[in-house]
Amino acid sequence: MFSFASLFSLSSLGLTGTNLSLLYISIILGVIAIVLFYFYFRVIPAKEYLHEQAEAAGYDRPNEYVREKLADKPRELSWRIFLYDDSKSIGLRYLFTSILFLFIAGSFGVLMRVSLTEPNPTIIGPAQYNVLMTEHATLMIYMFALGAALGLGLYLLPSHLKLKKDTMGVYTSMAYWIWLAGGIFILISRAALRWYFYPPLSLELTQSGGGEFAWLAVLGLELIFIGLMIVSVAIIKVIAFDRSPDIKLNQMSLFTWSILFTVIMAISSAPPLMVGLGMMFYDYFNPIFFITGTNTLLFTILFWFWGHPIVYMAIIPYFGLIYEILPRFTGNKVYSYNSGVWGLGLLLILSELVWGHHLLNSGLGIAWITFFTTMSFLVVIPSAITVFNFIGTLWTAKSIRMTVPMLFVINGIIDFIIGGITGVMQSFAPFNEQVHGTYWVTGHFHFIFIGITMGISFAAFYMLFPTFTGGRKYNVSLARWHFALTAFGSYLMAFSWSVGGFLGMPRAVAGYFGFFQGYQDASIIGGVIIGIGQIIFLYNIAVSWLKAPSTSPDNAFEEDNTGGGRAPSLSGGK
Amino acid sequence: MNDRTRKELIWMVGVLAILIGAAIGNVMYISTHNQNLAQNVNSNPSYPSNATIIKVDATQWSWAFVYSNGSETVNVLNVTVNKPVVLVVTSLKGAQSFAVIHDLSIPKLDVQVYAIPGQNNSLSFTPTVVGSYYFECVEYCGLDHYEMRGILNVVA
Repeated sequence: MFSFASLFSLSSLGLTGTNLSLLYISIILGVIAIVLFYFYFRVIPAKEYLHEQAEAAGYDRPNEYVREKLADKPRELSWRIFLYDDSKSIGLRYLFTSILFLFIAGSFGVLMRVSLTEPNPTIIGPAQYNVLMTEHATLMIYMFALGAALGLGLYLLPSHLKLKKDTMGVYTSMAYWIWLAGGIFILISRAALRWYFYPPLSLELTQSGGGEFAWLAVLGLELIFIGLMIVSVAIIKVIAFDRSPDIKLNQMSLFTWSILFTVIMAISSAPPLMVGLGMMFYDYFNPIFFITGTNTLLFTILFWFWGHPIVYMAIIPYFGLIYEILPRFTGNKVYSYNSGVWGLGLLLILSELVWGHHLLNSGLGIAWITFFTTMSFLVVIPSAITVFNFIGTLWTAKSIRMTVPMLFVINGIIDFIIGGITGVMQSFAPFNEQVHGTYWVTGHFHFIFIGITMGISFAAFYMLFPTFTGGRKYNVSLARWHFALTAFGSYLMAFSWSVGGFLGMPRAVAGYFGFFQGYQDASIIGGVIIGIGQIIFLYNIAVSWLKAPSTSPDNAFEEDNTGGGRAPSLSGGK
Repeated sequence: MNDRTRKELIWMVGVLAILIGAAIGNVMYISTHNQNLAQNVNSNPSYPSNATIIKVDATQWSWAFVYSNGSETVNVLNVTVNKPVVLVVTSLKGAQSFAVIHDLSIPKLDVQVYAIPGQNNSLSFTPTVVGSYYFECVEYCGLDHYEMRGILNVVA
């Protein structure tokens, strides 16, 4: 302990007094957590619990029991998901944790909006604002968007692939806990770094720099990456090797493809940033990598090599879900299965080649600007294929049932078209010079994230609600209100941001020039409306859960998977 | 070729035509206006010979402009109309603070350049209308990032 303390006080961390005792407390808590983890994984192993369940049901092997008694059955939410180590239970863990973080980060977002009522900070000071901004962005991306995608993937893949065995459970379970620990680290770090974590700011461990505990956020992010790598490998293994031999590659559902592309993307683009974060953590003790000289830009390059693919990872799985949801309410097949797969696959490849457009004005050279702006135009091609496929499916439908999930899907497609156009406009180098770093960008990706990532998650949640709750129905008119408020609020917010950003309203600021107040006020109203919509959602879920089961708990995404034949997406709804 | 594939192809050709047209326009702009884009000084970008060179030092949290005659203004930039200006931008350490990444943006004049510690970035622009324009830091740089802004005066 002694040497550790002297190591810290020698370093640029400058920990003294309260902070030092906090450090000791966190070390003690960490040790307790490790012991608890040991008990969780070894002394009360989930495997054993499953084994007992299997024996009680008359099965010798837990795998067989999972396959025959659990795999095809609707799985509802219960505390047992923390003891079962099968794909579906871990999927539920990811999904409900991500919803929890959606509400934490979302409330931070609403707080940020409300604090901008006046041009100068009033309710919330700039220090708190910067923390809220960092947590909102980081938690939304890593805990909500990624978590919900992985959760739905793990929950739906076993039946989409007709898994014969489910063997990566322990690893995936461990990945979940590591990912969760990372999220909690970021939450308690109170870092003020934005989600970029750019050094040297992230190395400035003061209240006015990156936050006193910014290093905790760096650790947390590294943990999230470790968890993500483990679960990505497990998912690739499940898709590649555990798939039923009945399902050929060209018969896999489009959702399975989208999850496969997502995890390939994660594995291929995260390692540079994982190394970068390790180097940054070393810099806290001995600043040699990013604090001086030309290396400052190096981290930004490593970051965006990951930072651009991650935003595609937050939408590709949801495109896959749209392909699953559309046939169920239009009664026809997806317009073209092949171009669906090719669209998502091209998106994977091209989106890994555009990341430099986040650094166009940082002096990396004319060749850099030319290459990355040109690639940014080309990345629209797969998006255009995908959108055409959605619209083609809707266009050729004989009738469309406007259920709540369908409302979210159609709104998501419209949002994606608007957000896509405002996005590709930034590929023009002169236009980028004007709007880079302004609310134009914020408007662009909030159109897409609220419409696609959040909206499609809600669509999937509503479709799966009877399954999660063992056959309970949600209140449709409250759900419609939830949809209407979310959609209207997000349009108002993102549209006023886009207009303000076009005029040069800078983003990531706790205060602004007085002449931008109109745009800020409009977006505050939009943000508050979105918040009210989510309160209605929570109320609806709580009230509906207390009612008696009144419908079949069958999984709406699985009903077509038992009949065999082509991919589930193509067999249409009922 | 069935009807569906044909419709998809027509759509793709249309999208590609627009995208390729836009990309070519963009490349033409870059090749003719590269003095207006941020470049590292070490790459020897060429600028008009009659340009006023102004050194821009970003610190947490203000912009200092050093003119060729040695005078300095903070958060106010004064330039002459119709005379090309070259900004040489870098980030400096303050008394108590780090040199961190900033980003100078003058939206109405289409000027944007990152201030990177240990690196000089430059670009040129020519103001053509007399008046006042706002500029701001658009790369988050710590506590008072939002106050790192000011006014550009274009005088006759």
